Amino acid sequence: MTIRANRCILLVMTVALLWPLTGCWDRRELNELAISVALGIDKVDDKYQVTVQVVQPAEVASQKGGAGNYAPVVMYQTTGITIFEAIRKMTITSPRKIYASHLRIVVIGEQLAREGIGNALDLLSRDYELRTDFFLLVAKGIKAEKVLKILVPLEKIPANKIYNSIRTSEKVWAPVTAVTLDDFIMDYESKGKNPVINGIRVTGNAEIGIKKENVEMIQPAARIKNSGIAVFRKDQMIGWLTEDQSKGYNYVINTIKSTVGHIQCPDGGYVALEVVRSKSKMKAAVQNGNLRLAVDIHVEENLGEVQCQLDLTKVSVIQELERKAELRVKDLVEQTMDSAQKKFRCDFFGFGNALHRSNPKAWKKLQPDWDEHFAEAPVSVTVKVNIKRTGTIGNSFMLDREE
Amino acid sequence: MTDISSKMSASLETHIERMKQLTFWSEDLIVRKTRIWLEDRSIKAVLFYFDGLCDEKLIYSSILEPLMNRPVLREEDGGEAPDLLDLLLESVLTVGDIHKFGSLESGLQSLMSGNVAVMLDGFAQGLSISMAGWEQRAITEPTNQTVIRGPKEAFTENIHVNAAMVRKIVKYPGLVLKNHTVGRVTHTNVSVMYIQGIADESVYEEVARRLGTIDTDAILESSYIEEFIQDEAYTIFPTIQNTERPDSVAAALLEGRVAILIDGTPHVLIVPALFVQFFQAAEDYYHRADISTLIRGLRYFGLFIATLVPALYIAITTYHQEMIPTQLLMSLSAQREGVPFPAFVEAMIMEATYEILREAGVRMPRAVGQAVSIVGTLVIGQAAVEAGIISASMIIVVSITAIASYVIPEFDMSIAVRISRFFFMGLAAAFGMFGIFIGINVILLHLSSLRSFGVPYMSPVGPFNFSDQKDVILRVSQRSMKSRPSMFGKLNPFRQRHSRSTKRP
Repeated sequence: MTIRANRCILLVMTVALLWPLTGCWDRRELNELAISVALGIDKVDDKYQVTVQVVQPAEVASQKGGAGNYAPVVMYQTTGITIFEAIRKMTITSPRKIYASHLRIVVIGEQLAREGIGNALDLLSRDYELRTDFFLLVAKGIKAEKVLKILVPLEKIPANKIYNSIRTSEKVWAPVTAVTLDDFIMDYESKGKNPVINGIRVTGNAEIGIKKENVEMIQPAARIKNSGIAVFRKDQMIGWLTEDQSKGYNYVINTIKSTVGHIQCPDGGYVALEVVRSKSKMKAAVQNGNLRLAVDIHVEENLGEVQCQLDLTKVSVIQELERKAELRVKDLVEQTMDSAQKKFRCDFFGFGNALHRSNPKAWKKLQPDWDEHFAEAPVSVTVKVNIKRTGTIGNSFMLDREE
Repeated sequence: MTDISSKMSASLETHIERMKQLTFWSEDLIVRKTRIWLEDRSIKAVLFYFDGLCDEKLIYSSILEPLMNRPVLREEDGGEAPDLLDLLLESVLTVGDIHKFGSLESGLQSLMSGNVAVMLDGFAQGLSISMAGWEQRAITEPTNQTVIRGPKEAFTENIHVNAAMVRKIVKYPGLVLKNHTVGRVTHTNVSVMYIQGIADESVYEEVARRLGTIDTDAILESSYIEEFIQDEAYTIFPTIQNTERPDSVAAALLEGRVAILIDGTPHVLIVPALFVQFFQAAEDYYHRADISTLIRGLRYFGLFIATLVPALYIAITTYHQEMIPTQLLMSLSAQREGVPFPAFVEAMIMEATYEILREAGVRMPRAVGQAVSIVGTLVIGQAAVEAGIISASMIIVVSITAIASYVIPEFDMSIAVRISRFFFMGLAAAFGMFGIFIGINVILLHLSSLRSFGVPYMSPVGPFNFSDQKDVILRVSQRSMKSRPSMFGKLNPFRQRHSRSTKRP
């Protein structure tokens, strides 16, 4: 028993002594972190200019004390040949090391985007500290740094505002697309689809936007806006889609969750329709040696607003509206297809992948110059719309009055 | 017989002198001389007892009065003189528990338990008459294992009362009680109870064997016995259960386990004890099965909170910040602004403060109770946070941990949990989550290696037994509790055989 007891004590003591030898290696306290929520990348004179938006936690979270004295976020900026260097270099101005695990968005200046962003994204996908679920964005017409300077109301942290407005807009309005780093790299690597990234821009007076004044006004002088989709060929940006085209893009790739569109009544006035469900299918097939593309879209809609004299109790009227809605969606999709084939000559929908799945042999043959084949191929768009409900009232109350 | 008479001299005066000598002339030894009247002569007799241990009124009415007031004893009543003691025993003394003793030492020993020794002039043997009647605490409500619904009586310090309380519940002749005496100086009575035909008798034999090996001078509380007979000394986990509830003991006996009652303490030991049994409260069986099952789940959840939450907090906030949702990270981070200590030190300070407060709460005189709680609340609840020394989130962590450790019904287990908490905190500070999971593995392996009186400690989870799952996390309805736990009740496996449904057809 004593031998056993001695051994036991010896073991416990050895373990107890080993314990502090680790010296809490790699430990970081919460108040030693500079939690960065947004990263901006621009190119200035062959160097990367990196901008980060770092949270001041006390400003953002605390209920009492210091709140309101400082800006909720602080910006650090450096330049370097590589992005990694630039980020580390930030410690010349920042008291804390940049901590990037909670990054919400990465904004890329349009100029850099047009030059190609592949190299810039390497660090972001390689570094262990970064998750790959942040949104990639292109700053439309400006440097990324400009976007990260604007203070916003409602959300204290501007990066959160951008992140949330993309997610909300994607859910209820549709002409945006939330592209994470993962999505981008997946599209980039696949030969049958070119990547896209959502655009973002600053409207209003950016001079005031960078001051706290901006959030003290009821109508802020400067705002950050989502603005259409940027189309890429490989890693180089080649142009912008308009709002309608962006919506059409989402119809084609089946990412519409909900949106609202309008159609014209026969006797003037408009009807607003809310899309509650949309299902689309992209098809690519080779028939008699000719490539054919097709998009089938099934949309379920509700009547949301009626500004004209229609008797909604009649089935024929609803059918008429459905037909018009079909034309409207078809028009959106055709606009988008048109710009893809004529303007960009670039398949950013993924028809290539569709062909790869349905006819691998043909894909192998067409793949080397796929974008050319895509641009020349005829497209047939079929849209089927069902109007399901008319809201809480039947006919417009204005119609009732006239009778 | 010669042996005895050599030990006990026949003369009464020598008896008295020897007895006084054996007790070193202690002044609470009462010596009462009297006389027994026979037909032709009288015999001198003496009563020995200790002041306060015996019921004096009973001595007058059951010993002195029959001896002194009785009409003359005739020889034919008892025959020869050596049988005069038998005569007294059989037809004079109106007391239940009397036995003869052969040596003064054994007579003296019985005096300690509140017996009266009667010795006659010229007789080698004496009579030891049970007259125990000292003042004792009344049966009260349990103070540690309280219930809302269920019996509200707890054991007392008197082993006879305790045994009787159990027998009152289990009215079954097979309920066996065996007496042992442990402790060279204290001669503490220890009774072992089990149910013949349900309990495995080899467990009783093992208990008896282990009790026999105890060589110590004093047994003052059940924990003395517990530490001497437990299987594994180098563990923080209790392998013997203790309870102050007679109904819990009865339930344990009916499961086929063995109860050890110790004189002088209201805590009764139960062996073998399994890990899961420390999470079963008596009340689980007195409420409906549904709520009992939910509460059980809550207890295991409480176990994890009490063991791991401070460790997880340390690990996540110092190593794995990416695991925290962004918004939460910001508010935690805001609270930590200006806190001068690392999270581990902060946690240790708060845990230590809490343990000090808890210990002070138990140990302090009742009168200062309020002062301690006010200072404690102010110090840890408010001042530390307002002064910016401790972050508010740490207070929340420590409080929830402290509360969670008390949902475990058995105090012994919550002690084990409290100790392991510090172990995990150390691991978390040095190795983060990795350390915590290594620690969990270490603890699990250790638990699986434990045994309690031959039964694997983690059963019925460790060696898995499907039918025993009815009383682990679940507490199925009484109707479905058809069999006893297979670990103890193999001899008589069924509690009920045909419980018919009471649903109308």
